[in-house]
Amino acid sequence: MAVKVLILEDNPVARSFLCRVVRESFSDANSITEAGDLESARRQIALAGGPTGLHGADPFKLILVDLELPDGNGMELLAELAQYPATKIVTTLYSDDDHLFPALQRGADGYLLKEDRFEVLVEELQKIVRGQPPLSPAIARRLLTHFRQSGADGPAPDSGFSSPSGFQTSRPVPIEKPLDHERLTPRESEVLTYLSKGFTIKEIASLMGIKWFTVNDHIKSIYKKLNVSSRAEAAVLASKQGLV
Amino acid sequence: MDESGFDASAFEHSLDRRLPTRWIGWRLRLLVLAALLGCVVVFAVMRHLATSPVIDSAWQLTPQGQPILVASRLSSLQPMVGRVLVSVQAEGKAPLVVDDLLLQRTARWLVVDGEAFIRLHQQLAEHLASGRLTLHFEDGHSVQIDTPARGYVGLGLPFWPLAALALVLYLIGAAVLLMRPGKRNLLYTTMAVSQAGNLLLIAAELTRGIGQPAGFALLDQMLRLGFDVVSAAAAVCVFALHPRRMPGAAMWMGASILIAIVWAGLASFGALQALWPVTQGLIVGLGTTALGLVSWSYRIEANPFAAVMRRLSLAAMLTLAGVTVAAVATARQPGAAQGVAAVSAVIWYLFFASLLLLVPFLSRAKDVLREFALLAGISTITTSLDLLFVALFSLGPFASLTLAMFLALGVYAGARQWILNKTVGARVMTTERTFEQLYRVAREVQAHPERQRPLCSALLRDLFDPIEVLAVAQSLPRARVAGGGSALFAPLPSPGDSPSEAKTLVLRFANRGQRLFTHEDARLCDRIAEQLRSAVAYDQAVERGRREERQRLAQDLHDDIGARLLTLMYKAQSPEMEDYVRHTLQDLKTLTRGLAAAEHRLSHAASEWKVDLAHRLSAAGLQLDWTFRADEDVTLTVVQWSGLTRILRELVSNAIYHSHAQLLEVSLALQAGTFEMRVSDDGDGRAPETWSHGLGLGGIRKRVKLLGGQVSWHENPGRGVSCAVRIPGLIAA
Repeated sequence: MAVKVLILEDNPVARSFLCRVVRESFSDANSITEAGDLESARRQIALAGGPTGLHGADPFKLILVDLELPDGNGMELLAELAQYPATKIVTTLYSDDDHLFPALQRGADGYLLKEDRFEVLVEELQKIVRGQPPLSPAIARRLLTHFRQSGADGPAPDSGFSSPSGFQTSRPVPIEKPLDHERLTPRESEVLTYLSKGFTIKEIASLMGIKWFTVNDHIKSIYKKLNVSSRAEAAVLASKQGLV
Repeated sequence: MDESGFDASAFEHSLDRRLPTRWIGWRLRLLVLAALLGCVVVFAVMRHLATSPVIDSAWQLTPQGQPILVASRLSSLQPMVGRVLVSVQAEGKAPLVVDDLLLQRTARWLVVDGEAFIRLHQQLAEHLASGRLTLHFEDGHSVQIDTPARGYVGLGLPFWPLAALALVLYLIGAAVLLMRPGKRNLLYTTMAVSQAGNLLLIAAELTRGIGQPAGFALLDQMLRLGFDVVSAAAAVCVFALHPRRMPGAAMWMGASILIAIVWAGLASFGALQALWPVTQGLIVGLGTTALGLVSWSYRIEANPFAAVMRRLSLAAMLTLAGVTVAAVATARQPGAAQGVAAVSAVIWYLFFASLLLLVPFLSRAKDVLREFALLAGISTITTSLDLLFVALFSLGPFASLTLAMFLALGVYAGARQWILNKTVGARVMTTERTFEQLYRVAREVQAHPERQRPLCSALLRDLFDPIEVLAVAQSLPRARVAGGGSALFAPLPSPGDSPSEAKTLVLRFANRGQRLFTHEDARLCDRIAEQLRSAVAYDQAVERGRREERQRLAQDLHDDIGARLLTLMYKAQSPEMEDYVRHTLQDLKTLTRGLAAAEHRLSHAASEWKVDLAHRLSAAGLQLDWTFRADEDVTLTVVQWSGLTRILRELVSNAIYHSHAQLLEVSLALQAGTFEMRVSDDGDGRAPETWSHGLGLGGIRKRVKLLGGQVSWHENPGRGVSCAVRIPGLIAA
């Protein structure tokens, strides 16, 4: 059965490049749907069963989303597709955590940097689809700060100077009593701390005396918690504003 | 003395203690009650005086000390103007022979004639009580007159202001005690009430015409001497406790109180033979003791309050000594001299009362009060001088008064500013220097907002030159003067808004203990803090503007040029071209990230470099051996960050594309401010000195030079080459 892929990218050259990357990455016969803006992407998703993908007979399995689009930001689509059962990947030129962290918070499974070489992109895409989340020290630092602030531990001791200005907007609404699923286990924060210091998964595995895929599991669990916590945050925000 | 250290907890405590902001509740009620009581007393005195009989007439003394009639409103007395009075006689009584004592107003300042004065006036009162008097003049003339009651109009002009001043002094004393009840304030109130009593008695003495109520002369003498003794004893007690508790304070206080009580006992039983010399000696002695105590206190601790008190006490004591000497010198001289002595004594009381009035408001810098005290002081000097001329050079009253007036005015005009400065103390810095300093500090704060607090402290220190400075963790809405002007609490501008970071600077003893803090100083502190705050706010606004502009630039570059470069990269004809464009794109991203972020920590940057290198090297099939050591986590500027990022990337690119190496060793180290970067490969490159300085190597050299460092390439002992970059002073840059 063919894997259905949606590529949302406004630059036609980049779009065809990404198509090549996807074809190269998966040997299964895949059907690729291309969209140049948010509007057509939404239409395609509606055809394939709507944003929840529940009654859709044949939903997309993989969605590549560009952030900067002519009619809006790919982040909006990510938020709409929070429940969509597909691997969602951000393809972008931005590699800074100010852009990537919100995307991960909205349920993106990973990101690809469009300027990377073809072979690198293929490898990264395969990794993400296999379930190996993205790792960057800056993102790991952001994650640490995020979870320490939603927990009752106070500000992260590591963040010696003020966090970047964009951070203020994504500061979580203080929740009086942090839920358990929002807290990191000691192992998870250890992994995050190593990641923030630039260690690779293999190095972390040997430092902690565990297998590399265990490290990987920890990272996946952290991202899941991030996603859950950001949804809980949104719910709290909504109920506070009388939306629910 | 173990108390010489700074008692911070006491100051923190006193920071919390607030004056009652409004006169509410029992304070107001008690004050009103005290005011009513004062008014009742004044009214009673007025009524008593108004109902007592009087010879409504004005008199002068001849050079021989005989009373001569100058004017009278009684028509029967008009023909007698210019004649000398010999005796008065009531019906059925023996004639009462009068002399110069008839014109004296009080026995308080009569050195030898006190008893005679009291006897004369007591008898005169008895004669007056009969309602009709016969006045016998020189040359056998005599006149029979009625002696009606004085009436309120007959109280005369000086009575009203003096009584009002007495009331004011009494009320201030009561208010001070009610404001903050305590031992020290009780002592002040005692002095104030005593002097208010003195003023009221003086007002009563200076009523128009001849004749005092029966018993007044004796009561007046005893009360006034008593008030003075109490004041002097209270002064000793005050300075034993304030501004600091002196060694043996209890002994000083006990002794002075005992002396006052013993004096009162002896005087009331009439057991003192020479009442005036003994009492006056006692007063001067106690006053001198008080002066000595406050000087001693100042020597132990240079509290400007003690300094000012010492100056004021010295002025009071010197003038009192002058008045005393004058009184003694003129004691045997009949005539005008004694009159002048009496007037100078009255003026001394005014001076002393004004000093007392001044004390609670010292730090409030009430100019009017200061000027008033100054004028009273000068007048005292004038009259003392006047007396001296009369006594020593036998000048006529008018001539001596004129001369003394001129001298005093000269002193006043010449020394006014000096005296004023000495009373409260001059500022340490001139206005010009203050302004310069403030301007300089404001500029510095603008440049380094994080140094706002130390700079502000330094500025206040320079401005007031205090003996002690202490920062306490307290928040204070406004600067405040405490301890009667000996200390100033100045809130320091805080970097954040959280109250836990609030600091208050406590400055003690301005101008090396020579000057009192005034409320103007507190306001100046507030202004300075405000000025520095606005300087910081300005700086923050400028910085925000810069950052926004940088971010906009970065955004535009990234979005526009980045997207085009990306398209160009995808359409590249050859892999070399593609790589070239990719590097350009990566450089552009480094540049825009550097622009967007204000600062980078070295440890953060290093971890990102590492991940980036690991990513690229693993894609190229190379191994990475990474070491990073830093003895301090410094913050890199944008220039440093982007420079180091690109140097490292270029070095690694060279290794990937040209060296055919298997392993790349990268080590970064920051030690004592010197940053060292070492990139070493095991490839087949040799003889780096022969390499052509293409775009890559030239770029590296340029960037290293820009950061103020050196770069060098060496052959490794086994295989490959290594590059060493050394940048001293990474922190300072």
